[in-house]
Amino acid sequence: MKEYLKQFRFYLRLTGAAAISRRYFVMNAFDGALTALGVIIGAWSSGPIQPRIIIGAGLGMSLAMGISGFSGAYLAERAERLRRLRELERSLLVDLGKSIHGKAFKTVILWAAVVDALSPALTSIASISPFIMASRGLVSVDQAATLSIAIVLVILFSLGAFTGRVSKERILLSGVRMLLVGVITASIVFLLAR
Amino acid sequence: MLLVHDPIVKKVVLDVLKPHHPQIPELASKLVACHGVDHVGISLAEIDQNTESIKVQVEGTDIRIDTLKKCIEDMGATIHSIDEVEVVRRTQHK
Repeated sequence: MKEYLKQFRFYLRLTGAAAISRRYFVMNAFDGALTALGVIIGAWSSGPIQPRIIIGAGLGMSLAMGISGFSGAYLAERAERLRRLRELERSLLVDLGKSIHGKAFKTVILWAAVVDALSPALTSIASISPFIMASRGLVSVDQAATLSIAIVLVILFSLGAFTGRVSKERILLSGVRMLLVGVITASIVFLLAR
Repeated sequence: MLLVHDPIVKKVVLDVLKPHHPQIPELASKLVACHGVDHVGISLAEIDQNTESIKVQVEGTDIRIDTLKKCIEDMGATIHSIDEVEVVRRTQHK
């Protein structure tokens, strides 16, 4: 297992895929959280809501975003990486299919696709999770909606803080910047859905 | 009685063309793990847009050229030429 992990890290380093997967993670997790926020606030401010509807819509949305993320990233990443591999092969006049470059190529496109699929799916599932509690009668619908919005805002702040850490800027400021996007989105959806 | 067996390759200098990645220290670390290799020295000869030409000096107790070639090719590099070889006779006294 340790060997596999070491090899996997080597492939990421070799292809420069670590930066791309970080980008995919932030962009898609952000998408997932913000879409969930839109659904929750839109439904909540339109009138009384059924937790089952939010759960159904949320899970459907997570699945669709997961499938779309996986297939989109797989195809786009494959095309880009294959082009780069062919370019290298032309420069070296060899077939790199069996070399570490060929193996890294297959590994990183799959990795990018998994990151692209899981990040929006997980953040949207986390965002609607209070409604699962509400459907079990553990919290009220209003409490679930408040908790959901709080979870989305925490996710957005964490993503902002993460980007701040990557860019070596002020973590708090980056977190607040991303949080603001969430607050603005929530306000617009709230005003439009009323 | 003196028995003469196969010759042993002790040193090879290769002209190798490689992509920019893996970088030279990483390539050297992988090559030194190849069978019969004890010491690897790499120097950069030329750098291009996608590739680098390097001189690889390999020393060991029993270097197998085919295995070394495979190790190099596994890393996405290719041997242009074998520029220098040092071979000794494996002898056994009975």
